Amino acid sequence: MADSGTLLAFKAGRAFRREGTNFVDPSPTKGAILLRKEDDLLHLIWKNRATDEVEEDLILFPSDATFSKVSQASGRVYVLKFSSSDQRHFFWMQDASSARDEEFVNNVNGFLMDPDHEVSWGPSSQPEASTSTAGASSSSAPSGFQASPEQMAQLQQLLSSAVGGGASAPSEMSLNDILTPANMMPLFTSHPDLIPTLFPHLPPDLPMHPSSEVLQRIISSPQFRSAVSNFDQALRTGLLGGLVRQLGLPEEAGTGIEPFLRAVQRQADQETGEDGMDTD
Amino acid sequence: MSGEDDSNGWQLTESDPGVFSELLKTLGVPLIVDDLYSLDSESLASLQPLHALIFLFKWVSTSSDSMSGNYDPEFPGFFAHQVVNNACATIAVINALGNIPALESGPQLAQLMEFTNNMDPQTRGLVITSSDWLREAHNSLSPPSAISLDGLELPRQTEDAYHFVVYLPSMEFVYELDGLKPHAVRHGSYNESGEGWLSRAREVIENRIATYPPGALDFSLLALRGDPLLLLQAELAKLQTAGKQAEAAELVVKLESETSKRNRWNFENSIRRHNHVGLVHSLLVALAKAGRLEPAKENAKSVMKERIARAKMKGGVMDES
Repeated sequence: MADSGTLLAFKAGRAFRREGTNFVDPSPTKGAILLRKEDDLLHLIWKNRATDEVEEDLILFPSDATFSKVSQASGRVYVLKFSSSDQRHFFWMQDASSARDEEFVNNVNGFLMDPDHEVSWGPSSQPEASTSTAGASSSSAPSGFQASPEQMAQLQQLLSSAVGGGASAPSEMSLNDILTPANMMPLFTSHPDLIPTLFPHLPPDLPMHPSSEVLQRIISSPQFRSAVSNFDQALRTGLLGGLVRQLGLPEEAGTGIEPFLRAVQRQADQETGEDGMDTD
Repeated sequence: MSGEDDSNGWQLTESDPGVFSELLKTLGVPLIVDDLYSLDSESLASLQPLHALIFLFKWVSTSSDSMSGNYDPEFPGFFAHQVVNNACATIAVINALGNIPALESGPQLAQLMEFTNNMDPQTRGLVITSSDWLREAHNSLSPPSAISLDGLELPRQTEDAYHFVVYLPSMEFVYELDGLKPHAVRHGSYNESGEGWLSRAREVIENRIATYPPGALDFSLLALRGDPLLLLQAELAKLQTAGKQAEAAELVVKLESETSKRNRWNFENSIRRHNHVGLVHSLLVALAKAGRLEPAKENAKSVMKERIARAKMKGGVMDES
C-alpha cells in the first residue's frame, strides 16, 4: 500500500475552526495523515480513507512547522502550525486507541524538524518517568507498591502468553482463605502493637482516620476481597518475581502461593529478630 | 497498524451507585445515582427530580430479542454508540446527561458535548471513548492495574455480559438509548400530568422484563436524579427560617441518612481504587509475626480440599443426571 516514499502514516481526520469562534469541529470523515518525501521535499498529506483520495498536500520546510496537541479541546485534536505564516491545519486522531498518539506526534515533529529523522517507536525521546520510577521503586521497597509501566507490560505479556498453559491450575490453598476476617480478627486483640504497622498501607484518601475498626471494615469489604483474589490469581501464574521484589521478598517468592507465604514467614522472623522482639 | 483490542484501555468498573455518583461529581454535574428497588409510584416519587432510569441487565442470550418501540433515526437529542467494551456504563451516563436540558456541568464535559454536537452516533461514540480525561475518570474507580488481570482471559466475572440501557424523556416522548443499537428507540408519548414520563417508562420497562422467562434475567435499575443533598439543605434552611421545627427535624433525619450514604460511598470508592498489595503483604507479615500464619495455612489447605471434593461431587451428580 504505502509506496517507498512514505515515511509515516496514521489514522486521523480533519477538523475545522468554526468561523469567528475558537471552536474546532471535527469532520467525521475517516482519513489518514501520511508523511512523504518527494523530490527531497517533505509532504504532509491528508488522504480520505473512504475514497482513497488525497485532499490535502502540504509541502513543509525544515523547522517551519510544528504539530501539537490543542490543549483547550477535549478529545484528541492536533494543530499543524507554521512559523512563516498564520496558517493552521487541525486534525484529530482516529485510531481507536490513543495509546500511540504520542509516538506518532513525536515522529511527525521529528520529520518537521529534520526530514532525515529516523522513525522511533516507544516512549517519547525525553527520558521521563521510566528510568526515574524504576529507581525510586527499588530503593523504597517495602513502604509503597507501584509497578513501573515496563514491569506491568512485561507482566501482562507473560500472563497472556501463559494463559491456556494451565496458568490457573488449582492451588493447594487460596490467599482468600488465609486473609479471612475470622483469621485476622484475633490479631487485633492479641497483638494490638502490630496494627499501627498496617496503617501506612491503607488508602491515603480514606474519609476517616485509620483505626483498627477501619482496618476491620476494609478486610471484610468485597473490594478488598476481590483485590486479594486478583493477587492470588496473579501469584498462581508463578510469574510475579519482579513484583514481589518490591515487597522486599526474594524473586522466588513470586513463583506461587506456597513460596510466597514461606518467604513472608522468613521476612517476619527476620524483622522480629532485628527488633529484638524474639520472645517465643 | 495498532493492536486494537476491544477495550482500548477502558477498565472494568463496578455498577454501583457510589461509582456512578463519583463519576458524576468528576463531570461537574449536580446529580447522583441511586439504586431503584421498585418501580412503584411511591419509590419513584421519593427520588424526584428523576432525570433518567438506567436499566442494567445481564444478557441471557435467548436471541430473537423482540423489540418494542420504533427506531428513530431522526432523534434530535444526544445519542452515542458504545464502540469499546467496558465503557458501557459511562456511555450510558453520557447518553443520559446529553439529553437533560439546561444541565449544569463542568468545562470538560461541556466541551466534549459541544465538540460532538453534530456528529453521527458512531463518530460520537468514538470521540467520547477516545477522550483521555473521561477514560481516566472512568478508570479511576477500577482497581489499580498492577494487580488487575482484566483482558488476560483468566476466568473472571466480567462486565461484558452486563448491558446498560437508558430510558428518559425527550421531546414529549420516552426514549430508550442503547449504545449497541443503531438508533434511539422511541416508545410513545407521555402526559406531563400526574407521574409524567415515569408512568410510560414504567410500562415499557415492565413489558420488557415480562418478555424474559422468569429467572432468566438478572437486572437492576438505577435512578439518575438531582442531588438530594443540595435540595434538602435548601429546604431545611427554608423551614428553619419559617420556624417549622417539627418538619425541620424530619428533614434533618433525611439529611443524616443521605450524608451517611455519601460517607459510605467515599469509603468504598477509596478502597476500590487503592492498590491493596502492600496491605495484603503486611497483613500476612503481621500474621506471621503473631505465629498465626502456619495454622491459617493449614486451615486454608483443608478448606481448599473440601471445596475441591464438593466440586467433584457436584460434577459427579451432574454427570449421572
